[in-house]
Amino acid sequence: MKKLPKYFLFLFLGSLYSTNLEPTFLVLNHFDKFLPNADSSLIENFSNSTFEFDSTFQILFEDIDNHENPAASHMVTIKELGEKYQVNYILFNRIEHINDRFILNGLLFNTRSGGLIHRRKIDLKQYLNGQINELNMWVGNTVGQVEKNWENNRKSILFSDPEEINYQKTPRGAAIRSLAAPGWGQAYSGKKISAGLWASTESSLSIAAIISFLNYDKAAKSFKKNSKLYHGTNDEKDVANYRTAAENDWNDHVTFSALAIAFAGATGTGWVANSVHAWIVGPRAYKNLYQKWDPKSPNTTG
Amino acid sequence: MVRNYKWFLGSLLLLVNLFGQVKLSVKTIPKKVNIILDGINIGKSPIINDRITPGIHKFEIAKSGFAPITYDILVNPSQAVHLDFFMNPIYQVKFKTQEKGLVFELNGEHLWDDPFIRLDLEAGDHFLRVFKLNEIIDEQTIHVDEPKKFNYYLKKLISEK
Repeated sequence: MKKLPKYFLFLFLGSLYSTNLEPTFLVLNHFDKFLPNADSSLIENFSNSTFEFDSTFQILFEDIDNHENPAASHMVTIKELGEKYQVNYILFNRIEHINDRFILNGLLFNTRSGGLIHRRKIDLKQYLNGQINELNMWVGNTVGQVEKNWENNRKSILFSDPEEINYQKTPRGAAIRSLAAPGWGQAYSGKKISAGLWASTESSLSIAAIISFLNYDKAAKSFKKNSKLYHGTNDEKDVANYRTAAENDWNDHVTFSALAIAFAGATGTGWVANSVHAWIVGPRAYKNLYQKWDPKSPNTTG
Repeated sequence: MVRNYKWFLGSLLLLVNLFGQVKLSVKTIPKKVNIILDGINIGKSPIINDRITPGIHKFEIAKSGFAPITYDILVNPSQAVHLDFFMNPIYQVKFKTQEKGLVFELNGEHLWDDPFIRLDLEAGDHFLRVFKLNEIIDEQTIHVDEPKKFNYYLKKLISEK
C-alpha cells in the first residue's frame, strides 16, 4: 500500500504594517516533508512582515493544473480568504521531494480579482537548506527583496562553467617554469625524478657547451698568438715549434668549435623539449578508479 | 462611420490580444543564452517582461559547452510567468586503462574497448559497467564535476600479488 505523504501545511499571514501602501500577504506553505525552519526563516528574513499560522486548509490548489482555466479556478476561495485575512495577495508554496530533487511550485494570487498573478516552478537538486533557500528566494522575488547570499547558496550546487574553472596549477604554468629553468615545471607538477633528470642533463649540457666554447676561445687566441710568433721569427727551431703549436691550436679550435655548437644545440633543443615535457606531464585533474567488485566473489548480477 | 467602426474593432482586438497575454521572464545560469520559444529566437537571457500567450509552449535553450534543454510548459492565463533554467555543463573527460581485454559501458549506451578515449560528458553522475570475456566484472558510479582524466585499475587478487 502506497504510503500517503505527510502534508504539513502552514498558514501564515504576512502583513507589512509599516505603511498602508505596502502589500499584505497570506502565505500558504504546503510541503510533503516537514521543514522545521521554514516559518522561522521567513520571519527572520522578512522582518517587516508579521506572520500568523493556521492549519485549517488541508489540500488547497492541489489540482490547479487539472482545471480548464487554472488562473480563475479558485477565484471565489481567494477572494474569501482575502476578505477573511484582510490581505492583498495570497502566496501558495508547494514543495515536493522526488529522490534527490525537490520541486517548488509557487503561486501568487491577487485577492481583489481572485486571479493568479505570478507562478514559479523550480526543479532543483537538493542542497544544504535548499528548500528554505528557494522559498526565501521566491518570497523575496515576490516582495522585491532577494539577498545575494541566497543566490550564491543556490549557485554552490551548480556545476562550474568549464570556461570559468581556474586551476591553481596548470600545464601551461609548468611549461613556462621549465622554460625559465629546466626541471622547475616538472618539480612544480610534483615529478621530482624527472625534474632532477632534466635539471642535471640541461646543466651538464650547458656546462659542456660553456667549457667547449672557452676551450675554443682559448685555442683561437693561442692560434693567433702562435701564428704571430711564427711570422715574427727567423729561427728554424722556433718556426717549427710555433708552426706545430699553431696547427694544434687550429685543430683544437675546430674540434671545440664543433663541440660547442653541438652542446649548445643539444642544450637549446633539450631546453625546449624539457618545457614541452613539463606541459605534457603538467598538473591535470585526474581520478583513479579501482574495481569495486571483489574478483573472488561470484558474479551477483542476474 | 464604417471606418471608425473598423478602427474600433481593430483596437479592441489589439487590446484583447495584449491583455490576453502573460508576462514572461526567463533567467538562465549561465547568462546570455539564446532562448527559442516555439521555434522562434526571442533573444538572449535574461529575458524580462516579454509576452507569451496562454497554452502549451516549447522552450529550447542551447549553449556551446552545456547540455541543451527542451522544456514544454503549459502557461496558465496568469499575469506573469517566471522561468529559471540551470544549464548543466559538458566536460571533456579522458578515460584510460592499462588493463587488457576490458570493455566499458557508460550509462548503458556507450561501449568501448580502447585503452584511451576522450568523452564529452554532462556534469553529474554516470554509471560505468566493465566487462571482461563477456562477463560483468565491475559496476560503479563515476562523478564528473570538472574536466578530468579517469584511470581505471582492476583489483588484484592477493594470490596474484
